[in-house]
Amino acid sequence: MSLSPAQKTTLRRLALAALILGHFGFFILAVGVVGLYRAGQLPPPPQPIAFPHPTHVLGLGLACNFCHETVEQARGAGVPPVEKCLTCHRQIARERPEVQKLLRYWDEQQPISWVRIHQLPEFIYFSHKRHVKAGVGCDSCHGPVAVMTEVRQVRTLNMGFCVGCHVKSGASRDCAICHQ
Amino acid sequence: MERRNFLRLLGFFGSALLPGCRKEGTHGTLISQLVPPGDGVMPGEAQWRASTCNECPAHCGLLVRLREGRPVKLEGHPDHPLSRGGLCLRGQAGLERRYHPRRVLAPRRKVDGVWRDLTWEQAWDLLADALHQDRQAGRRSVYLAGRTTGSLSGLIAETCRAVGLERLPESELYAHANLRAAHDLLFGRAELPQWQLTSADLLLTLGADVLETFVQPVAFAGALSEARQNPEFAWWHAEPHLSLSGANADRHLGLRPGSEARLLRFLLAGLVARSPWRERLPEDLRGLAVSPDLPGTAAATGLEAQRIEELAEALRQAERPLVLAGGSATAQVGGLETAVLAGLLQRLLDPEGARLSFARGQNYAALGTLNDLRGLAEALAAREIGVILVARCNPVYNSPDAFAFGAALAGAGLRVALVDMEDETSAAADLLLPLAHGLETWGDAEPVAGVLSLFQPLAEPFGEARGEGDMLLELWRRLRPDAPPAARSYRDYLLAAWEQRLVDQQLGDLARQGWVELPASAESAPALRASETAAVLGTAQGPAATATPGLLLTPSLRHFDGRGRPLALLSEIPEPLTTISWGQWLALSEADARNWRLKEQDVAELSLGGLRLALPVKIQPGLAAGVLTVSREALAGLPFAADEHTGELLAWRDIGQVRRVGRERLPILAGSTSQHGRGIIPDPVHQDAHPVATRSELYPEHDHAHYSWALVIDLDRCTGCSACVAACYIENNVPVVGRRDHLKGREMSWLRIEPYYDSGRPQFLPMLCQHCHYAPCEPVCPVYAAYHNPEGLNVQVYQRCVGTRYCSNNCPYKVRRFNWWEHRREAPLDQMLNPDLVARDRGVMEKCTFCIQRIRVARDRAKDKGRLIADGEVVPACAQSCPARAISFGNLRDPEARVSRLIGDLDPHRVFAGLGTEPSVYYLGCRRPA
Repeated sequence: MSLSPAQKTTLRRLALAALILGHFGFFILAVGVVGLYRAGQLPPPPQPIAFPHPTHVLGLGLACNFCHETVEQARGAGVPPVEKCLTCHRQIARERPEVQKLLRYWDEQQPISWVRIHQLPEFIYFSHKRHVKAGVGCDSCHGPVAVMTEVRQVRTLNMGFCVGCHVKSGASRDCAICHQ
Repeated sequence: MERRNFLRLLGFFGSALLPGCRKEGTHGTLISQLVPPGDGVMPGEAQWRASTCNECPAHCGLLVRLREGRPVKLEGHPDHPLSRGGLCLRGQAGLERRYHPRRVLAPRRKVDGVWRDLTWEQAWDLLADALHQDRQAGRRSVYLAGRTTGSLSGLIAETCRAVGLERLPESELYAHANLRAAHDLLFGRAELPQWQLTSADLLLTLGADVLETFVQPVAFAGALSEARQNPEFAWWHAEPHLSLSGANADRHLGLRPGSEARLLRFLLAGLVARSPWRERLPEDLRGLAVSPDLPGTAAATGLEAQRIEELAEALRQAERPLVLAGGSATAQVGGLETAVLAGLLQRLLDPEGARLSFARGQNYAALGTLNDLRGLAEALAAREIGVILVARCNPVYNSPDAFAFGAALAGAGLRVALVDMEDETSAAADLLLPLAHGLETWGDAEPVAGVLSLFQPLAEPFGEARGEGDMLLELWRRLRPDAPPAARSYRDYLLAAWEQRLVDQQLGDLARQGWVELPASAESAPALRASETAAVLGTAQGPAATATPGLLLTPSLRHFDGRGRPLALLSEIPEPLTTISWGQWLALSEADARNWRLKEQDVAELSLGGLRLALPVKIQPGLAAGVLTVSREALAGLPFAADEHTGELLAWRDIGQVRRVGRERLPILAGSTSQHGRGIIPDPVHQDAHPVATRSELYPEHDHAHYSWALVIDLDRCTGCSACVAACYIENNVPVVGRRDHLKGREMSWLRIEPYYDSGRPQFLPMLCQHCHYAPCEPVCPVYAAYHNPEGLNVQVYQRCVGTRYCSNNCPYKVRRFNWWEHRREAPLDQMLNPDLVARDRGVMEKCTFCIQRIRVARDRAKDKGRLIADGEVVPACAQSCPARAISFGNLRDPEARVSRLIGDLDPHRVFAGLGTEPSVYYLGCRRPA
């Protein structure tokens, strides 16, 4: 069977289009599948001590900055020093296994190596103080930590996330505000 | 679908999914502290602590920036009575010494030529045994240290007395022996005075390299800058070669080597021929009042008679003149005579001693001379010495080769070196004791009598390193259990010493501000010892006939007496006169190069006695024929002699044959010594003849609501000392790339000093990103990585940059730097990185940011108080370190800001303004050197 020149041209074009679409389509599909599989669904990694935020925040009504003391004063919110925990746990709930872990750290004078959940890239300048003072609540970026028995990251904390909020709230959109 | 839309979608999906690609197990850790840190330490916020620079005997005041307990930047202490906020490039690089990968971290003993680590216990036992044996055998044991001031000096003396060590005179290469001997002859004070430069209206320096290494270079530079604000002020500098100081003087007198005394005798004779100076000349010295011999002086010095006359006239006219000899003028045969003449001349011009204070002397009295080192070498060779302890000095490297000090050391029973890094002396030692850095220990320094400056431990010592004071106390305790020291630690010793010397108020000042100035004793100018002076000047044979060609050893701006050699940063920063970075060279004049048929970067071989020296050649404009110069660090040894009488180093020597033996490329970073008429520095000889370009701009006009940052550089103040370059490197994590990359023109410095020789003598221009308002780099960036921000900064977003390098190609100022490699920093140098900005990756363009991280800190502070950033709150690293206060930074939107006032109604010079780039860097002033 012979094809007319017009048919040949159409066929050639179709083949070319199929080739290009197939090539890039495969790439998009592959990246999409892998991405969807993993996006934000990382299980929270185990911490050295299973610290329950709900017990402290909901149960006892402690404010975030009771432990994360420098959140209004410095770039970093601050991890509470072990001594801070001891102010209560010298007396309270000493028999619980997780508190005993804590007491062991104190007795051995070892610092606790918590697993870091929220981490911005090192090239980003981020100040907790500036955001808190501007009225951005902790949960805007960290999610409802108060109800999380195990803290996990629920916001992407990527550039789109940051810029979206900056646009909405009328904050600076100058690249150099964050990129250092 | 359009191609454009397709790519957009692809990009969107790709970037949206990238965060999902983080690997498991890449979580960082958050380490809790055990107890809350005191002192207001907060995560991510810097702390500032006072300290003292320990890189050279000047001991400038420091402010140290600490981040999370690590010192990350040294700055000049703005209120320090000596350095007044400046810090030279060596001081800046002193931080690298603390984090140096080759630091000695534990006591070491050499066993069969190999170093073995010891515990402190073993080291002490070894040392105590050796000292004990030597005492039994009746051999001397000695303690040799570099210049020591403050309480440590007292402790060394006490310990030596207690344990039976002999304390030797201190060893420094730049001990200024002739100058001290001259002051001894003239005034009975073998000391260096403090020179009061700020109030002078005429400065005549002979050889003294006041901007490089001479006694207090940072203080000198600051005082000079202040003195220059007086339009009447003039600085004359006489030297055979061309130093950085000479390049900055208003009038440079390039005289024949060794003829300085001849010039001074002429000036003296001319002065005492007239009233009131005639009456000031004591009876014994009337013999000097001969009729001045102008033609003879002109012939002997090689200067034009007219210039000598001008100088003599200027001296007579000046109300507050200051004459100062040192450096190359005194470090040669007849140097003592030169120093005495200069001192006498100054006394006649300033009989009350208003500009020469011995009450605030420089504490050089405990220093020895090369004669002491010669005596030590002889004693060592004769096996008279048992244990020798060497602290903070390098006599093997810095004693004349003729002493054969290294070989003589073999005659000692046990050679102990207290060092932070290995050097020539420690290589010849048997036992190394690791010395802590100045930022790691308690201590004090007294660089000038009555000015006490504090060292405090701002970080833990690396490894097993300890401070010298604690080592001495430990030695004392072990050797004299019957009479141990009263102090348990050097800290206790210091506190006791301070309590004895300071009242409560002063002690508080020392602790709070890091230094204290004690009231100076009301000492009047010491009497002139006329008969002694007459005896010397009468017997001095007049200027020695110095043969040219000869070789002059010059002190090194970058490496001082060689101690800066291990610090890579100091080699990376180009020497400002030649712009040579890595490597050594021999500088000679164009006439000599023609004579010996040498081209630049030819290797020339000189024969120096038995030694042959082969170095690549740099043709130095402004250098006189017959004068070859070599920098201290270029020589492996010291093939120069010492003055038999005074023990001064003779830095000038004759050379034998000069011949070409090969070629070696030198990293000369400046493309040219000429401006080629482009008017980079405004000057009548360099008019920018280009027509003003019509502007065509792709991006919309930008307005600056609150801030428009600008930098103003006063070229009248700038000396080219390169302190700003060093500060920029450290503040901004600029990588040190080394010789290979420099040879390819791939240096990374964000700020450079450009010397131009069009007017015969160099003029310096600090060149950095000009932060143009119509920046040529911005529109050519395909990914919007280079953009103009609302505060007038030309910002480079490293994470956007894809490395096309179009921006660099389009930049008329050549200030953008491309990262050709991933620059790894050998541990623990990586701990020195400034955490306020990221270290750039391979394939990314970078450049000066006007220290945007400092703007950020200031903005944070201002926002806390609900206001805008005030003037002076942001000081970029370059402006901060400048000893001459040449650089100002501020907001042009604020009419009261310093930069706005400096610019005023003028339209100051901006480089290549004709291109229409509208730079934010303004250059003020332009001296036309004569």
